[in-house]
Amino acid sequence: MNETVIDRNAAPGRRPARPGRTEAPPVSRERVAASTAAAPAPSPRDVPAGPLAAFPRRHLLGIQGLIRGEIDLILDTARAFAEVSRRSIKKVPTLRGKTIVNLFMEPSTRTRSSFEIAEKRLSADTLNFSLSGSSVSKGETLVDTARNLEAMAPDMIVIRHRAAGASHLLARHCRSNIINAGDGSHEHPTQALLDAYTIREKKGRLDGLRVAIVGDLMHSRVLRSNLFLLRTMGADIQVCGPPTLVPIGLERLGAVVHTRIESALEGADVIMMLRIQRERQQGGAFPSAREYFNLFGLTRERVRLARKDAIIMHPGPMNRGVEIDSAVADGPESVILEQVSNGVSVRMAVLYLLAGGTLGDLAA
Amino acid sequence: MATLLLEGGRLLDPATGRDGLFDLLVVDGKVAEVRDRSRRTASKGRARAVPQGARQIDVTGRIVCPGFVDMHVHLRDPGQEHKEVIETGTRAAAAGGFTSVACMPNTEPRNDTLAVTEYVVAEARRKGAVNVFPIGCISKGSAGEELAEIGDMVRAGAVAVSDDGQPVSNSYLMRMALEYTRIFGIPVIDHCEDPSLSAGGVMNEGYAATLLGLRGMPPAAESIAVARDLALAAMTGGRLHLAHVSTRLSLEEIRRARRQGVQATCEVTPHHLVLTEQAVVESQYDPNTKMNPPLRSEEDRQALLDGLQDGTIDAIASDHAPHHADEKLLEFDAAAFGIVGLETAVPLVMDRLVRAGIIDMKRMVELMAVNPARILGLEKGTLREGADADITVLDPDQVRTVDASRFESRSRNTPFGGWRLRGWPVLTIVGGRIAHEAKPGARR
Repeated sequence: MNETVIDRNAAPGRRPARPGRTEAPPVSRERVAASTAAAPAPSPRDVPAGPLAAFPRRHLLGIQGLIRGEIDLILDTARAFAEVSRRSIKKVPTLRGKTIVNLFMEPSTRTRSSFEIAEKRLSADTLNFSLSGSSVSKGETLVDTARNLEAMAPDMIVIRHRAAGASHLLARHCRSNIINAGDGSHEHPTQALLDAYTIREKKGRLDGLRVAIVGDLMHSRVLRSNLFLLRTMGADIQVCGPPTLVPIGLERLGAVVHTRIESALEGADVIMMLRIQRERQQGGAFPSAREYFNLFGLTRERVRLARKDAIIMHPGPMNRGVEIDSAVADGPESVILEQVSNGVSVRMAVLYLLAGGTLGDLAA
Repeated sequence: MATLLLEGGRLLDPATGRDGLFDLLVVDGKVAEVRDRSRRTASKGRARAVPQGARQIDVTGRIVCPGFVDMHVHLRDPGQEHKEVIETGTRAAAAGGFTSVACMPNTEPRNDTLAVTEYVVAEARRKGAVNVFPIGCISKGSAGEELAEIGDMVRAGAVAVSDDGQPVSNSYLMRMALEYTRIFGIPVIDHCEDPSLSAGGVMNEGYAATLLGLRGMPPAAESIAVARDLALAAMTGGRLHLAHVSTRLSLEEIRRARRQGVQATCEVTPHHLVLTEQAVVESQYDPNTKMNPPLRSEEDRQALLDGLQDGTIDAIASDHAPHHADEKLLEFDAAAFGIVGLETAVPLVMDRLVRAGIIDMKRMVELMAVNPARILGLEKGTLREGADADITVLDPDQVRTVDASRFESRSRNTPFGGWRLRGWPVLTIVGGRIAHEAKPGARR
């Protein structure tokens, strides 16, 4: 049985309360907490209830704040675009005449290729701008880089950046539609959307599914976007990682936190492994890759703790033998390559919807 | 020098216990006479003579306080003139109701020698709108290795030492500083932070940082250093002052040490009293919510408010940290730490603390004038007869919106732009001279 009720107090492996790491208690006294005037950018306030025809936002900066109808719209639209990739001539004229800049300030192969293919299949003109060979090495700021690109009148900017909030900075200073393709340890919305698409294709739903997410929770933007999305869609979320790599307050995001992989995997419909991000860690979070694999690696034996029909996912790039055994990564439960295929359809959907397209037009 | 007569205001001078309607006569830069208005009518209903040539200023409905002292500002001069200079920084102080500021030594070059201290003193004398008291470095170059020539700097006018901006990581050096400064009786001001815990952090560690994917600085990084400093103060008998305390844990350490008789003082900033880490979330990574120590949790903020009420906190200081717009128009990770504070400190305290009933006006004057003057050993913070005529006049009913574009400071890095606040400084008098006067009509 899939237990969807999350009892925080009964949660196994829950971080014990420690001074200084506990969350602030609710304010009881009548003191006015001041805050800066600006409201959070993604506000679902103006979003109508029920099925949506068009995407009501200018940018896709994160999953946080999206409502169910918006996520469904993207996933449904992606489904319609999946068919394009199965044709012999994989191209539709939908975004002809639109210019899209792929501004990748951090190394990326998969996400950048995926966006580029999605853009090309929609007939958009694309410009790839990456860290090497850019004027960033000459000391130009991100805002200046973006403004210079904007002077060439692009319609959209897809940005990958090592700093959290970089896409928000662009959204404040640019006219183009901004798509966050990963900002530091913050969010990677199209990854969570393609994960959700993959789960939905395999399981038919997201609601009520038990999803176990294991790995470096601290530095993972994939985790954050997935938590926001899975919670909104009604999944039961179990997360697991070394306590040195568990950020504060995941319980408040609807996740049950485990320190042992075995309890996290129990009864899971979906196992999502996260990459160990050596480049973002300060070091010392665990003694060795070998010990990490012994304690947290996904082995065939551990997969048996999940449901028989569980699927195994990984956002890539994988560290084989660190977080996942090759036998599992290449095994029958693995949908890792399907995730990559689906990434193209999901990104086509996001580009299309931000350009003002509707699902109705697509069906027609 | 001009003679001034401030008439009709409420004088609030905790040092003399005066709180009521008094007229204040200023002659030759000193408080010449404090006249009780209630007795005026009794004495045959005749006002005492107005000295010839005196400028009479009607301050009816205003509060006349001993000049406020901001004991923690960065004037950036010498060396970082694109952020601030002594001239603009002191004009900002005057506009914000401060008659004295103590400026931190992290300039370029750092104020770790007699020559730099002398420059600051001389430049302030030439161009300063308010009194400037330099703070020298604890260690040469603030490198945290060996003591700077503190005696030289004190001779040139330094009133305290600090490596602010950098914590003093080396406990031995901190011990030496606390012992050595006993010669001069000046405080050692520490920016408390254990860098091994806070390294790479850009905001408070907690749920908000988790949501934003930003690296956190845990509250314990501050309180560990506070606890160490208090232990060293107990051991050495040196005068310890803890800068910009921001966490509940730090205040608990201070209370515990004081119960054991340790002499130590501390300050808190207005922004830690009115903002929390939630401001980073709500502003969606606005770099003007990035400072060190970072904006903390609501629990910490409440603890600071308690500390104001129970006397644990001695002073409110702005930690005025001007930065050029270019240094803030960046990714949150890359943006400079710090905000300007001189021109918003007083209205924030008036509106969010006094008007909200957390502290009263008398306590505000203690926190912003009496105590900072006492901690720094300045003969300021009172309006008794014969004292320097450093006077801050407040209008408790004035309502204004913070407009950073009109700051006197050379920098505009504030998270408070657009805030409507009630209670503003309207007249700042330094040594008997008017340093700032709000334009008539500003009162709404």
